[in-house]
Amino acid sequence: MAGVTSQTILVVGGGIAGVTAALEAAETGYDVVLLEKEPTLGGRVSRFNRYFPKLCHPTCGLEINYQRIKKNPRLQVMTMAEVAGISGERGNYTVTVKTTPRYVNAKCTACGDCAKATDMEVANSFNYGLDKVKAAHLPHEHAYPMRYVVAPEAVASGEGEKIKAACKYGAVDLDEKEATFDLNVGAIIWATGWRPYDPQKLTSYAYDLSPDIVTNVEMERLAAHDGPTHGKIVRPSNGEPAKKVALIQCAGSRDLNHLPYCSRICCLGSLKHAAYVREQYADATVDIYYIDIRAHDKLEAFYNRLRRDPQVNFVKSKPAHIIVGEDGRPVLCGERTIDREIYKEPYDLVVLATGMEPSVVGGFAPTVGAVVDDYGFVLPEIGDGEGIFSAGVAGGPFDVSMSAQSATAAALKAIQAVRADGA
Amino acid sequence: MTAPAPDTTRKYDLAFAKWVYKNVNGGDKLSMCMQCGMCSGSCPIGVQMDYGPRKLFMMIRAGMKEEVLSSNTLWNCTSCYRCVVRCPRSVPVTYILQDLAAKASELGYAPKKENKRFADSFWWSARLFGRTDERLVTAKYYFSFGLSEGIKRGLDNLKIAMGMIKAGRMHIGMPHTVKGRKGLQAALKKAAEIEARQSGV
Repeated sequence: MAGVTSQTILVVGGGIAGVTAALEAAETGYDVVLLEKEPTLGGRVSRFNRYFPKLCHPTCGLEINYQRIKKNPRLQVMTMAEVAGISGERGNYTVTVKTTPRYVNAKCTACGDCAKATDMEVANSFNYGLDKVKAAHLPHEHAYPMRYVVAPEAVASGEGEKIKAACKYGAVDLDEKEATFDLNVGAIIWATGWRPYDPQKLTSYAYDLSPDIVTNVEMERLAAHDGPTHGKIVRPSNGEPAKKVALIQCAGSRDLNHLPYCSRICCLGSLKHAAYVREQYADATVDIYYIDIRAHDKLEAFYNRLRRDPQVNFVKSKPAHIIVGEDGRPVLCGERTIDREIYKEPYDLVVLATGMEPSVVGGFAPTVGAVVDDYGFVLPEIGDGEGIFSAGVAGGPFDVSMSAQSATAAALKAIQAVRADGA
Repeated sequence: MTAPAPDTTRKYDLAFAKWVYKNVNGGDKLSMCMQCGMCSGSCPIGVQMDYGPRKLFMMIRAGMKEEVLSSNTLWNCTSCYRCVVRCPRSVPVTYILQDLAAKASELGYAPKKENKRFADSFWWSARLFGRTDERLVTAKYYFSFGLSEGIKRGLDNLKIAMGMIKAGRMHIGMPHTVKGRKGLQAALKKAAEIEARQSGV
């Protein structure tokens, strides 16, 4: 191994794992660069309504982390930036970074005049496309950095000029272009996280045939106060309250045709969704269709809490298919495995607990210093020379607390990798 | 439908399950089954079966040999393969049911059910001519219920048969055969000998 030429640690991905790893390393006294592909940090966690099992709000923990970032001069955050290439070895990696234009520079005060100046709307990726936002918008109300972004569609159509004219601070820069540059770093923490498994691949669950069939991540947005329905859990088709709700576990996970592994968060996620529905409607019933409920250790208390609710039913069955009934409601079909009865049950709202697919599937994955397993999870190369470490769901299906733990571990390993004395 | 429920207090006998794992086509994959119910829920004719595939597999594990081998589940499968396509654990459900039916037949469990009679008639024609002649298969099947029942069923369908002949959809004259019938029959005889040597419960 050649000597260490850079002690900078690069963290790829600004979700809860990347933010945690970057802060842990920076607060220990190392220079850290944090890259995030989206216009804001926070990743999937910022899209959650609440955490299980305590049902507290993720904004709280994220806010503390953002304060720590602001106070730390060693940590440099770059949004709308992703990795396009890695070469070199531990202590001396050359990382090619590609940035996409935000069209808004650091002069932005988040006053919102640009959004008022345009009527053009684009799909809201923060809400998984469930609603629309103005072509000039704040990614969400708790964005970091607190800075607007202009959609490329607006720049291409000439609407950008109107947006630019409305900004009194000269913050809108329509001439920004894609750029690539190289960084020299000593170690890399790979924290690119996950995306929800594409529900359209679960053909028998008819996701495309009814707006009342949603995924678990969409359910989080339906329940969130800044979501498309301002926190009311309603049927997307007609806006009526969703009072009979089915939650389907293992929609994609533990299925050799889709994701062969258990995604680990969906059971607790669905128990949380049952709690959301029951909080909103005293007369609502929730049926959870499951193969087996995987609520480990301390999480079992949350499971038992939901089991005590007589309006939450646990149905041991993997539903075979969903059809759309004559009244437009989705109808679940399958076999209840306890009493071996074939059922056909209509619901107001069906939530598919789709699993976690690693972001590197179909995207960039490190080709040196790490190995990617059959499922797309990134693992450090075993040996003396390893300098790339994974944190959070990039390395395996973890929940938020496990992601934070793995991030702290990755930060420690990265620090050891860049220390010249090897200690 | 009165399915004998497994007695939860009895000791599980794994001998039958192990025999299925070893001798039935696809049986080695049976241990992958996680009892999710996807196969039984997907089965278009599951309600006409004594037990759905999921329950049948559990019964195999529970050692319920008599109930499994004499169930109509083995014979009612239409081989649509929906369960095979959807199974999250890649269990070849259809293959297992098909081969269990063949094994049940060999071991004398096959009940005098219509599916079994039809399969026997089909195989009789295939073995004799190397081809299936639909007239002879039908006649053999009808008369397997007895002489008067055979005549009755034949007369019931006479109009359809005449219509098919008129439309050129049914062959008249001697049955079609393959070239080298003798060779085919010798091959089948040899295959039966090999199979007899290899099987055994």
